[in-house]
Amino acid sequence: MTRALSWLYLLALYGFILLPVGALVLFSFQDGGLPVPPFQGFSLRWYADILGDRALMRALLHSVLLAFGSSALACALGFLAAWGLARHALPGAALMRAILVMPLAVSTLIVGLGLLIVLTRLGIGLSLWTAGIGHVVINLPLCFAILYASMGDQQRSAERAARDLGAREWQVLLLVAVPMLRPALLAAFFLSVTLSWDEFIIAFLLTRFDVTLPVEIWSLLRSGLSPRLNAVGSLVFLVSALAVVLAEILLLARRRT
Amino acid sequence: MTSRAGGWALVAPALLWTLCFFVLPFAVMAAMSLARLEGRELVWGFDLGNYARLGDPAIARAVLVSLEITLTVTVVSVLLAYPLAAILAFRVPERWRRLALMLAILPFWTSYVVRSYSWLLVLSREGIVNRVLMGIGLTDAPLTLANTRFATVTGFVHFFTMLLTLTIYANLVQLPRNYARAAQDLGASRWQTFRHVILPLTLPGIVTGAFLTFVLCIGDYVTPQILGGNRELALPQVIMLQLGRRADFPLASALSVALMGMVTLAYLLSARWLRLDRL
Amino acid sequence: MTLRRLLVSTALAVLSAGAAAAQTINALVWCDHADPALIAPFEEATGIRVNLREYEGTGAALAMLEQSRPGDWDVLVIDGIDVPRVVEAGLLAPLPADRLPLGDLFPQVVLEDRTTRDGAIYAVTEKFGYNTLSYNSARVPEADVASLDRLLTDDYAGRIAIYDYYLPVIGIAAAHLGLDTQSLTEADLPAIREVLFAMKDRAATVGEVVASQTALATGEVDVVIGGGEWLTGVLEPEQPELTWTIPDRGAVLWSQAIGVLADSREPEAALAFVEYILSPEGQARLATSSCYWGMPANRRAGEHLTEEQKRILRWDSQEDYLSRVQLYPAPDEALDAAMQDLWLEMLQR
Repeated sequence: MTRALSWLYLLALYGFILLPVGALVLFSFQDGGLPVPPFQGFSLRWYADILGDRALMRALLHSVLLAFGSSALACALGFLAAWGLARHALPGAALMRAILVMPLAVSTLIVGLGLLIVLTRLGIGLSLWTAGIGHVVINLPLCFAILYASMGDQQRSAERAARDLGAREWQVLLLVAVPMLRPALLAAFFLSVTLSWDEFIIAFLLTRFDVTLPVEIWSLLRSGLSPRLNAVGSLVFLVSALAVVLAEILLLARRRT
Repeated sequence: MTSRAGGWALVAPALLWTLCFFVLPFAVMAAMSLARLEGRELVWGFDLGNYARLGDPAIARAVLVSLEITLTVTVVSVLLAYPLAAILAFRVPERWRRLALMLAILPFWTSYVVRSYSWLLVLSREGIVNRVLMGIGLTDAPLTLANTRFATVTGFVHFFTMLLTLTIYANLVQLPRNYARAAQDLGASRWQTFRHVILPLTLPGIVTGAFLTFVLCIGDYVTPQILGGNRELALPQVIMLQLGRRADFPLASALSVALMGMVTLAYLLSARWLRLDRL
Repeated sequence: MTLRRLLVSTALAVLSAGAAAAQTINALVWCDHADPALIAPFEEATGIRVNLREYEGTGAALAMLEQSRPGDWDVLVIDGIDVPRVVEAGLLAPLPADRLPLGDLFPQVVLEDRTTRDGAIYAVTEKFGYNTLSYNSARVPEADVASLDRLLTDDYAGRIAIYDYYLPVIGIAAAHLGLDTQSLTEADLPAIREVLFAMKDRAATVGEVVASQTALATGEVDVVIGGGEWLTGVLEPEQPELTWTIPDRGAVLWSQAIGVLADSREPEAALAFVEYILSPEGQARLATSSCYWGMPANRRAGEHLTEEQKRILRWDSQEDYLSRVQLYPAPDEALDAAMQDLWLEMLQR
């Protein structure tokens, strides 16, 4: 009885979770000008349309650059900080940890608005770089938290052994700590890529011309009802899903060897 | 000594980044919230007038709307996600578990903006939900579902159910299996086992997830803007309205500080169980 | 490794593409300018690259311009009615009259008292249309849209959408009350508030362009207050029952104007862009751009529009329409703030 109920519940929730994506993908093939029922037939013209759209493709490139760039920097900074705090007894360590994690507990709207005010006061023009600053701010706490949590005692003894064998500090860092923490580093990196890839409000507030994909989609959404939106959404879906599968395979393969 | 200096050198870049690009901007924003806009001229000072605007019925309503929506979303999402996570963790055979989990969070990979928009289509008059409801005879005329608070809440719940399923699942699979077995060996019923063993052990995970839901939900602009039909505005929408139409940075800053206040309150209320540094 | 190389090379390509572009102008515009079909022909013909940024309200645009560094912006598209605010702030450069097709414009939309000052031209009207009533003619009898009176009864509860921009809808409410939209004062706001609240009480949604289009196209609502050709023009080919009308007591004329910024670093390229937008070809493309349709200000654009496009734009009825509408309200800073607060109050009702 409870077993049957469980499966029923599972099915119902899967329905709820997958429903909008199903509708999205279905109507991206709509052979008509409006992405609303009834379904008028199958067509690929909206995909051809968006693939030929220069602004969208530029936005896609910007999103990739932003996601990978800001995540790489956030991971590097987060890793150094986590290593420093995990391996050295520093006064005020608890406070520093709190400060580093804080942006995680704040709405991105606030992060974006604060930076916008400061940047305009300083007369710094908005660009993909300024959006990148904001994205590192929100990605850094995540990377730090994940890496800090994974710096266990096991690594510590390996590092100590390396030191005893005469390794210099940077050698310990690059040749022992980084390789041992590779799974955590990859996890932090990909999680932060995912966040940054899909982030809207900071990218919206802090870019001018070199907008990211979510911002471009937002202006599409404001500029006319069209199955193009469905096609963009489905395409993003496909690309991200592929990336996830790829990351999964990569991570799993690494883990096995 | 060198070790301590080395430690500082390692922490410094990240700390400086956060101080320069997060703490400092927040401080400037707080100062800005005390400034005033005269015409288009910005007048710095110590003026609580922007905060007094929180008493305006329209803005007070936005605070209330935000709180109501966020609390509803948080509670409903936890209630939906917990059983799902439990079924995934305990009922689904191990070899299918990873796939089942991936399937449960599949819509994560669409663009956030598009995800909200697709709910608009699903909930529209001619949309799937109305067709099904009319098909099985639950209603004669299509219901108005899109452009309502219901739509906003649905869009949010959809996203946060996925997020919470993930965090709660991670918690559940970490539980040593023999705890539950031991409780049952000692004569506890299924409900007692859940109530006294599993629930307390997963509480930190739930609270952390719920807190994240609260923070992300109360600060979100996209979902209510797309799905809510502007029948009522949540606080972030009012903030963006001040920025987009009037560039009233002082008022927008004051409202953001208020938003931050609500998040802080939620943090204090849940701090006991919160494990932010180990997500 | 290959992934990294790919990333580095794309990054380099992007950077060098940015550096190599000979001439670039930055334009602060409305969304209809973001259509590649409008911009690409200009870029190809002149080799000038156009960067576009859309904005929402005049106040935000002014703030953006004032906070930018000199030379950040070259071209501005703005509400015709708000041109004086920008001129007063010293942001616009005078335009050479001999390079503008002034004689070809619909005289009613030139708005000379707003676009010129002391004989100098600061901006030129490029596109116009009406904020009035869009409706579903299959479900709403024509008599019901002849006035707001019928729409503001309970028969239309839940069947109305309001376009989410305060100035035109306040203008419609003012026209309904028989007020002159150009001489509104704070004293008129209580009466306008009554009308806005009556609309809101019956509204299913208050939305921007797409939200209003979606609501109308999916049958969510039957009337959009504030709509017009710009809202239903793109829907008409597929759903001919979606149309628009001007009620007996009139509606509101919207217009947008284009100008060159005073501290532009590329004034010649910016002027070339303005010339292109105002040329018959540019005007035809602007009129039918993807974001929203609207009447071109230049009458000669008609030579480049198809009969079908002209029919949807209702080319032949313009003289009649123009005689029956008032301009967008043009509040000063204080009244503008009061109107925005009123709008927020209406939204939160």
